[in-house]
Amino acid sequence: MGGFWRNFCRNRGAVVGLVILLLVIATAVAAPWLFPGSPWDMAGMPFAPPGEMGMWLGTDSLGRDVAAGIAHGARVSLLVGAVSTVVALVIGIGLGATAGYLGGVADDIVMRFTEFFQTIPSFVLAILLVAIFTPTIGSIVFAIAVVSWPPVARVVRAEFLSLRSREFVQASEVLGKSRLAIVFGDILPNALSPIVVLSSLMVASAILLESALSFLGLGDPNLMSWGFLIGSGRSVIRIAWWMSVFPGIAIFLTVLSLNLVGEGLSDALNPRLARNREGKA
Amino acid sequence: MAVSRRGLMATAAALPFLMRAEEALAQGVQPKRGGTLTTIVNPEPPVLHIGINNQGPTLIVAGKMFQGLLRYDAKLQPMPELAKSWEISPDGLEYTFRLQENVKFHDGQPMTAEDVVFSIMKFHMELSPRARGVFGRIKEGIAVDANTVKFVLSAPFEPFLLMFDVTVSAIVPKHLFDGQDYRQAPAVAKPVGTGPFRFAEWQRGNFIRLERFDDYWKPNQPYLDAIIYRVVPDSQSRRLALESGQVMMTQSNDIEPFDVPQLRARPNFEVKTEGWEYFGPLMWVEFNHRVKPLDDVRVRRALTMAVNRDFIAQRLWFGIGKPATGPFHSATRFYDGSAKTPGYDLNAAKALLDEAGLKPNGQGVRFTIRHMSLPYGEVFTRLAEFLRQSFRQVGVDLQLESVDVGTWSQRTANWDFDTTINYLYQYGDPTLGVERSYVSTNIKKILFSNVSGYANPKVDELFTKGRDAADPAVRQEAFSEVQKLLVSDVPLLWLMEMAFPTIYDKKLHNVITSGAGVHASFDDVFLA
Amino acid sequence: MELSRFPAYLAGRLVKAAVVVLAIVVCNFFLIHAAPGDPASIIAGQSGSADARFLEQLRAQFGLDQPLYMQLWLYLKGVLTLDLGFSHRQQASVAALLWDRLPATLLLTGAAFLFAIAIGVTMGALAARRVGTWSDSVITVLALTFYATPLFWVGLMLVLLFSVTLEWLPSFGMMSVGVELSRIGRVLDIGKHLLLPALTLGLFYVAVYARLTRATMLEVADQDFVKTARAKGVPEGRILRRHVLRNAMLPVITFAGIQAGQLIGGSILVETVFAWPGIGRLAFEALLARDYQVLMGVFFCTSVMVVLFNLITDLLYAVVDPRVEVS
Repeated sequence: MGGFWRNFCRNRGAVVGLVILLLVIATAVAAPWLFPGSPWDMAGMPFAPPGEMGMWLGTDSLGRDVAAGIAHGARVSLLVGAVSTVVALVIGIGLGATAGYLGGVADDIVMRFTEFFQTIPSFVLAILLVAIFTPTIGSIVFAIAVVSWPPVARVVRAEFLSLRSREFVQASEVLGKSRLAIVFGDILPNALSPIVVLSSLMVASAILLESALSFLGLGDPNLMSWGFLIGSGRSVIRIAWWMSVFPGIAIFLTVLSLNLVGEGLSDALNPRLARNREGKA
Repeated sequence: MAVSRRGLMATAAALPFLMRAEEALAQGVQPKRGGTLTTIVNPEPPVLHIGINNQGPTLIVAGKMFQGLLRYDAKLQPMPELAKSWEISPDGLEYTFRLQENVKFHDGQPMTAEDVVFSIMKFHMELSPRARGVFGRIKEGIAVDANTVKFVLSAPFEPFLLMFDVTVSAIVPKHLFDGQDYRQAPAVAKPVGTGPFRFAEWQRGNFIRLERFDDYWKPNQPYLDAIIYRVVPDSQSRRLALESGQVMMTQSNDIEPFDVPQLRARPNFEVKTEGWEYFGPLMWVEFNHRVKPLDDVRVRRALTMAVNRDFIAQRLWFGIGKPATGPFHSATRFYDGSAKTPGYDLNAAKALLDEAGLKPNGQGVRFTIRHMSLPYGEVFTRLAEFLRQSFRQVGVDLQLESVDVGTWSQRTANWDFDTTINYLYQYGDPTLGVERSYVSTNIKKILFSNVSGYANPKVDELFTKGRDAADPAVRQEAFSEVQKLLVSDVPLLWLMEMAFPTIYDKKLHNVITSGAGVHASFDDVFLA
Repeated sequence: MELSRFPAYLAGRLVKAAVVVLAIVVCNFFLIHAAPGDPASIIAGQSGSADARFLEQLRAQFGLDQPLYMQLWLYLKGVLTLDLGFSHRQQASVAALLWDRLPATLLLTGAAFLFAIAIGVTMGALAARRVGTWSDSVITVLALTFYATPLFWVGLMLVLLFSVTLEWLPSFGMMSVGVELSRIGRVLDIGKHLLLPALTLGLFYVAVYARLTRATMLEVADQDFVKTARAKGVPEGRILRRHVLRNAMLPVITFAGIQAGQLIGGSILVETVFAWPGIGRLAFEALLARDYQVLMGVFFCTSVMVVLFNLITDLLYAVVDPRVEVS
């Protein structure tokens, strides 16, 4: 564990990312105390610019406090991002590993299934699913997960496909290790770094996907999310730039931190690579 | 009575030409030939043939290619279009129209009384529910001679003369439709009308181009060479297109209300909200009376008093439109300003809810109901959010559901909602556009029927009386009473008389010259 | 791969592809019909008035009065003979509608894709080569910025800058309407309209490719065969090109395969912001209008394209990575 931390902390960007991410999480947790009451409450004049009337990030078209919206929105956006990614990872790794390791008929079936999902334009599928189940946080998470897992499956399969014929796997097979042990003990750890990189990207893209759905009017109307804020600020961007700029920055920072942390994790999980990188630098 | 009405209409018939000439002169500009008007159509119409499709965008574009017998000014007085004059028999049963001479369809065929009879008695009767409701009262439609048409009604129907605008009964060529399935006829894809502009080109998703019809029946008109409708699905792109001069005009829902103040401030743009009087759109909160406690009139009245309608008109719609006072749009005939729905009063609202036995629980919530947002653009989403906060102030929790148009249409039609927003055109007359939302005979699983399920025999009776009376004074009496009754029953929460901004470059003239605004033929619009 | 086995392999893959497409058609059919509302009710809603007869007429005309399995059967029969049906709402055949819109989308996505691949892989390779240096950080941050900013927001900012403030480029549409242009003038005109949407759509994928290329190149660079090459004294540039980049292309190709479908989905947003007349928007509008035939047509069309693209991807795999067998 100590080695992991040392390796993680060696990457300065990762530490910065972790600090930002923790700040975002802290904001999300503390939102009800920082901004008591509902973020939907009309707290001032509509379209008050930042700094006026005590709203340091301005107000929106109904006079709601943008800062309160961002703080409360952090809860929803992070939740949507995390939950849908976890669901997508479980599906993706399961299917990808099965396909890549077993090969043959299993691979064929899984890949047809994956292809099936990839062949439908994912955004259209997400819209369709949300439209059928009406926009609620549940249907949005479900839709995002359903359209996000195929890349995981494909990358995992590709990794498994190329790792499976490696010497160390063949060695384990010769030694008579069980399939599960090989998959989880030998192959998966070696395939982890692209998965980690990918999943940090996926949380971010889930947040972005949610904002795109909101932008098309398919967000959960009862929950304040960053996607909602950008969606509602988007059309008044020339009257009230702050309405979309600040939630945009919130998304940007969160995505940035997730990526930096992901990279740090990748370095820490793959010390050989990290040492190598250090030696070069 | 009949004589005085005829006299009034004859004067009205002579007026518009004078008015328009004066208007142009007053601006010190002479009509000028030439130039192309570029504007926007949104959303893109599925079909351009009027009758086959009667959605707003279709009507606006097709209104340039087709014409009705009459047009209407802002006071809903009829003016000549394809009919140059008309007469009503003293018993109110026979309507005789004299048609303009030398009117040609775009394919060169002359337009005659036969085409008029076909359009009214067959084409629109078959295709349009709105036309069907009224033209079903015609006992007989006769082409007296090539230029005279007579309609004989089975019973007097006072608002009959309001039914001849291009948007409800455009004259279509009989020779291209008769004996065919109207919806499948080749002319649907290439519309042929009598209007000043003819269909030239339609690149789907991109633009529609109409060009000047050289054989148009008004000499030297139209002034414009062409009209191009560009398809721009995003509201900000539309605003940019207008600001950057890529289009000269926007209309209807093209520009979001919050963008209007800034555009109004620009010296080169004219912003008009007139030109919707013929339609008289009124917006309200639809209550489902089958859902408790919305069946209680005290609850409905309390919710009405919880909403600040001035805020909606001023802050959400930026002054485009005005607060509703009751079930009638103020431009609708027989509007009675003395029947007023209760104003914004939170304390009275709370008192009423207490009286109805709905006490707040620990979280201050008296009851929870759902609200389906109207999926017609951003401002309606804001409206739903505003209503939620408004109701919250009196302890009513509104759970928002956002849906798309398909879901909204189906669930509204199937009464599967607690509350939702709706707006309906009143078409100038209570019988044509108000009655349908309140009478119990129209409680149907169909959009734009009485989906709220409100029923009051007295209201039914008054609407019937107002519909069947030939004398406007009798109608006024019935409709005044109905307005008072409705205001006290609060079947719906009336919010706003809607208007839509027409924004155009000041180089354009004569854009809004009637109560149907941008739906007009534009034969007198010119660039100078 | 032995050349003699290739035709059989290809035929097998094509059959599988056809099965996938068919499954998609059936699945889409049910998904789409599960959405509440139907085209008739929407047209009624948008026409401002309706009665029972009107709805009946429309449903009969659209073939919605038939039982669902009949509708599916009719549709499948049509698809098998490459007849994608007729949009009664738009009074045009689905094939014609698609044909109208497809070139615009292909142009937009193609331009965005080439832009993304070229810039993304170059950026990723540069960053990997100079890993840990100042330029690596700049590229990484740049890629992250592209990645983290919502697509439509980028689009609007670009429009604000280039169309409104600088007045260099048009803000929407695919071509100027109502002006006579020479052939070359028309091409330049479309190019000008294409620039901002392609940039907007491409930037996101630049980030994806740059990150992916960098990550995998670093990984590959650490592997034994590269070390061996280095130990043998092969020049660094040659190692990078022949060994590292080639192997690092594997995940990049995987992603490129996925993109065919995703780009079209992503282009809905870009096509909406820029009023680009492509099939992404056609699909979205068809969904909102419950124009079943058109929506299924778009799904069918993109499915075929993606399946073909995946096939090419798999063949490329075999070329790039000799360890992957054609099986």
